[in-house]
Order: sequence, then structure tokens, then C-alpha cells
Amino acid sequence: MDSSKCVGHGRCYVLAPDVFGEDERGHCVVVEEEASGALADEARKGERNCPEGAITVETVERP
Amino acid sequence: MAEPKETPRFNLFSEEFARCPQKVYAEMRAACPVTRAMITEQPVLSRYEDVAWALRHPEIFSSAMDLQMALGTERPMIPQQVDPPAQTRYRRLLDPHFSRRKMEVRIPSIRANANALIDTFIDAGECEFDEAFAIPLPCIAFLDLLGLPKEDLGLFLELKDGIIRPNKAQPELDLEGAAKARVASGRRIYEYFERTLEERRREKASREDLLSSILFAEIDGERLSDTEILDICFLLLLAGLDTVTAALGCNIAYLASNPVQRRRLVEHPELVPGAVEELMRWETPVTAVPRLVKRDVEVGGMWIREGELATLLIGAANTDDSHFPEADRVDFERERNIHMAFGAGPHRCLGSHLARMELCAAMEEWHRRIPDYGIKPGETPRYSPGIREVLYLPIVWER
Repeated sequence: MDSSKCVGHGRCYVLAPDVFGEDERGHCVVVEEEASGALADEARKGERNCPEGAITVETVERP
Repeated sequence: MAEPKETPRFNLFSEEFARCPQKVYAEMRAACPVTRAMITEQPVLSRYEDVAWALRHPEIFSSAMDLQMALGTERPMIPQQVDPPAQTRYRRLLDPHFSRRKMEVRIPSIRANANALIDTFIDAGECEFDEAFAIPLPCIAFLDLLGLPKEDLGLFLELKDGIIRPNKAQPELDLEGAAKARVASGRRIYEYFERTLEERRREKASREDLLSSILFAEIDGERLSDTEILDICFLLLLAGLDTVTAALGCNIAYLASNPVQRRRLVEHPELVPGAVEELMRWETPVTAVPRLVKRDVEVGGMWIREGELATLLIGAANTDDSHFPEADRVDFERERNIHMAFGAGPHRCLGSHLARMELCAAMEEWHRRIPDYGIKPGETPRYSPGIREVLYLPIVWER
């Protein structure tokens, strides 16, 4: 999450509340740095719905 | 560099455009993504990409402009008409008071207020939605939020109209007369808040409401000055009432005319938040925001000059199919909805969380109590340009 881009639309923590939270100003805080399965889908939903493009979800392969 | 060839001009202030702007938006994006407005010849941006870029570059597209007089203010409104970095300081102070967490506690009272309004007309089987519901609901929420007495509702409605639509109370006013009426109403708003702040300061016990929070808040160890507080109050009044009124009207007008969509919403109230987002995108009640151009800049192949007043057409951006697949389809379950109805960049609407809650609560309560309704036969809703308030929205339902 690029906090220099976040302006507090709050779409991420509304649509993906298990992955993202809010700070005092209502800006995004990442709650789960790593996620898999349903939680990963939620993270992607947050990423795709950020109007500022502040969130990036990276896929890593587990050995 | 030369200007592009002759481009068509669009009238963004016609009633026809206000009623159904989506077709015009599509024409604008296709023919001339950056064009000039009719009469004023000022630049208009209509593509998602361009509007978003402009909103995120306040150093080029500035909000600090000399237009304030048009709305009866004596100084720039804070934080809307102030650019970063000063604006950032104000937002750091104000944002916590408008966060989703802070606004969430207001939901029960918003629901109660919505129901109290519905009680007054439900048995009649009809109402003029703007006057009966869309105007009073956000105004009551505003008084609640600031901790002002409910008895002041009538006064606030009068002052707000005196600024935004002076011709409503005095239809005979010409342009100059309307401008004078605005300044007079503006002065009354300043005086009202000056008095209220004075009273608050005298009270020893601090209250829990927003006005007291702002009064005693500190940024970097400093309190806000009286003028700063007044300029914030002015903004809250001007930005917080008409916008939600317009959104409520646009939503109900759409749902009254689209019974299939309405029935789905009634049967699946869990779709309300998605519907509110999608209707914010599709209807975009605040069609455009102005920005003052600080230096020559090329956007979409056209040069915009320093000193010009650019119109960022948010509604056109929100219906741009390069960012919204099947942009012309209203889909309450749209998987990705990155609309900019609340703006984008540093000036993202301060009240967006409250607005969303008001809209969701109002839509839920309305459809729970009045699920089946339509536009009164033979009548046509009337929209205002700019901020698309549905000034006349007669609806009927089975008693």
C-alpha cells in the first residue's frame, strides 16, 4: 500500500475488511500483509477498487 | 503549438443536459476528449484518465480561485478552496472527525430521521420527493452533526437557498440582484456561526459535537483561528446539503423509472451499498468541478493556458468505458467501481463517508416502507444543471 497515494476513499476497508483497516484519519492500513485463498481474493477486491491505485497485491509462489 | 481544428461546443447548463447527461458525455469523449465550453470557451476535460490526472495535480489544476464571491463567501472556503500544503494541514485536522468510524455512530439517528419524514407523507400515497425528503434529511443530519438546535432547520434551508438558488424565494431577481442576495445570505451565515462559536466558547463543559471538536482542536500545537473555523463551517453548509439532496433525488428518480432494478433492490436489500455506488457513478450528481490552471499544460492533444478555468467533467469520466466495462449498463454488483463521484486526489470529498451512510440508510428505509412507486403519471421530473438536484420529483405509490 502506497500511503503517499492513499487519500482515504475507504473502499478497501469497506470491501475487504479482513485485509485492510483504517487509521485515525480514515486512511488505509494493511492488516494482513500475507493472505491466501478467500482472504487473497478479498485483498484483490480491495486492490481493484482503490480509485487512487494505491494498493498492489503481489502473487508469490510457495515452495 | 496550434489548437486542434474546430471542435463542437457543448452546453453543460441546459436542462436537457441535466436530465440525461450520459449521452452527451459519450459524444464528448468520442469527439473531443478535451474541448471548450459554449459561451465561456473555457476548457472541459471528459476522459477518466485526464480528469483523474488533473484531480491529482493540484499544483497545475488549482482549487484556489477567485470565484468565491459567486457563492456569497467573503474568503476561500476551507479546505475546498485551498491548495496543498496548507490544505493538507486542514485535512489532517478534519479527516478524523469525518472518518467512517466516527460517522458510523450516526446511522441510527439518520434512520430515525428518515422514518420520521416518511411518516409525514406515507398515508397520502404521493409526495414531491425533493421538498418532502431529499432536502430536509441531509439538513437535519447536518444540524445533528454540528450540534445545532433542530429548530434552526427552517433558517438553514432559507440561508442555503439564499446562497445556492436565490431565485427560489425571489423569482424576479436578475443576475446582479441574485449576486447581491447571495452576499447578503452569506453574511447571515457568517453571523450565525460567529454567534454560535461565541456561545460555545463561553460554555465551560465541552460538548461532543463537531463544532466543539473543531473549536478546541489543535494542529501542530495550534488552534484554528475564528476566521478559519468560520470558513470551514461555510464549506460544511454549502458542500454537505445540496450534494446529498441531489444524490437522493437522482437515485429515486432512476429507481422510479426502472422498476426491474427497483424490485431487485427491494428483494435484496443487501445490494443497497452496491446500488448506491453504482448510482453515484451513473448519475454523478455533482457533474463537474472547476479548477484554475496554473501553467500551460497539454491534455489529450489540446493546450490549456495558464489562467484558464478548466471544468473537470466527473460525470463523463465516470461513464468512460475505458475504465468501466459496459459503462452504459447500471450494474448494482459491478465488480470494480472506481468512480470519482467524490472526487480523487487530495481534495477527495471530506464528507464522503457520511454521504455514503446517509444514502444507504435512506435507500434502505425508503424501500422497506415504500417499495413500489413511480413517477406521477403525466409529470416529468425537473433537474438543475451543475449539481443535479431533482427540483421537481412527484412520485406516487399504493396507499
